[in-house]
Amino acid sequence: MLPEALFLVSVAAGFVGAMSGMGGGVVLIPALTLLGMDIKQAIAISIVSVVATSSGAAAAYVRDRLTNLKVGMFLEMFTIVGALAGASLTLVVPARPLYVAFGLVLLVTWTTLLLQRQQSESTAAPQDAFTHWLDCDGSYYDQASGQVVAYHAVRAYLGGPLMCGAGLIAGLLGVGAGAIKVLIFDVAMGLPTKVATTTSNLIIGVTALAGTSVYLAGGLIDPGLAAPVILGILLGAFVGTRLLVRLRNQAIRRFFLIVLLALGVEMIVRGMRGGL
Amino acid sequence: MSEPAAVERPSGRAAGQDMETLVGYILQVGVLLSAALLAVGLLWHWADTGSPRLDYTIGGLSFFQFLLADLRQALGGAVRPRLLVSLGIATLLLTPYLRVAASFLYFALVARDGKYTAFTGFVWAVLTYSLFLR
Repeated sequence: MLPEALFLVSVAAGFVGAMSGMGGGVVLIPALTLLGMDIKQAIAISIVSVVATSSGAAAAYVRDRLTNLKVGMFLEMFTIVGALAGASLTLVVPARPLYVAFGLVLLVTWTTLLLQRQQSESTAAPQDAFTHWLDCDGSYYDQASGQVVAYHAVRAYLGGPLMCGAGLIAGLLGVGAGAIKVLIFDVAMGLPTKVATTTSNLIIGVTALAGTSVYLAGGLIDPGLAAPVILGILLGAFVGTRLLVRLRNQAIRRFFLIVLLALGVEMIVRGMRGGL
Repeated sequence: MSEPAAVERPSGRAAGQDMETLVGYILQVGVLLSAALLAVGLLWHWADTGSPRLDYTIGGLSFFQFLLADLRQALGGAVRPRLLVSLGIATLLLTPYLRVAASFLYFALVARDGKYTAFTGFVWAVLTYSLFLR
């Protein structure tokens, strides 16, 4: 496979991933398999590139004081265990179920993004004793309203096990599973959307590293192929994120989301029919 | 002691902000350095051979063995495109790892927060174990 082609496909995947909110990996893996790459190798290369995009984005969010570091560091305990299990599973299962699982996760992510509420309110639910013990309340400066928003997390005892599941999916399929993590933060733990997306970004990097270590040991990471993919997806995500901030247009995000629907269906059909 | 009461900076908040600066800095530097190494390595290889295709795999090595082999090569003065690409991958993977290590040390030594020292310590230990896998 030509590195030039890998680079260009990765730029496109990073761009579409950022514009749609799906994340780079979800777009990259189907694209790489369409280019003829084995799905396990595509998963392994994708998860390395997820370390790069997550760390790059998280750096800015953390310095803007949007990320809740304590919530992130508590939940990382769960996601890394899930990711190690998921990646180990991928090494031993046949390819066809991976296609189907990938397509299903893509469609679920797709649905949650399409139905996404604009800005969820921080829940007023009373804080439970365990989450209180975690001492992870926070506040952030909201640029749109010019106010400091204080919030508290709830139901961390539920968030932990659920995050283990999100980590499993991330390790198994080589994606960040950011949309799933954001959903857990939002619905189970009552965090404001900004805190949910930025904190999810922080823990994706460590989760992807745990998955990467398994693929590295499995001999699936070829640096000559990974390097152009990492550079391409970083560039695509960088441009996409800058453009997205300037556009603030829901129509464009939806357009990209509709395009991605086909990728999910295509993966499931390929997994079902065989003849990969 | 002499600080006026009007300047309200609860210690927890200030400590958190120090860590945010540290974590943000590690992530930023790590990703930029890694991307630079990968880009220079690939372009150099391209200029040398006329093809950007770099053919090699990391077979049967744990991450730390891979890192050590790279560092030994770099110290030996044998800087070649392949080595730069390897170092770029290694830098990338070390970035979140060092972020966790730094958070652990921060919670243990500066913030003196037992709970979060234990949490980040666990994450650090699991990651260290997984990077020794081969």
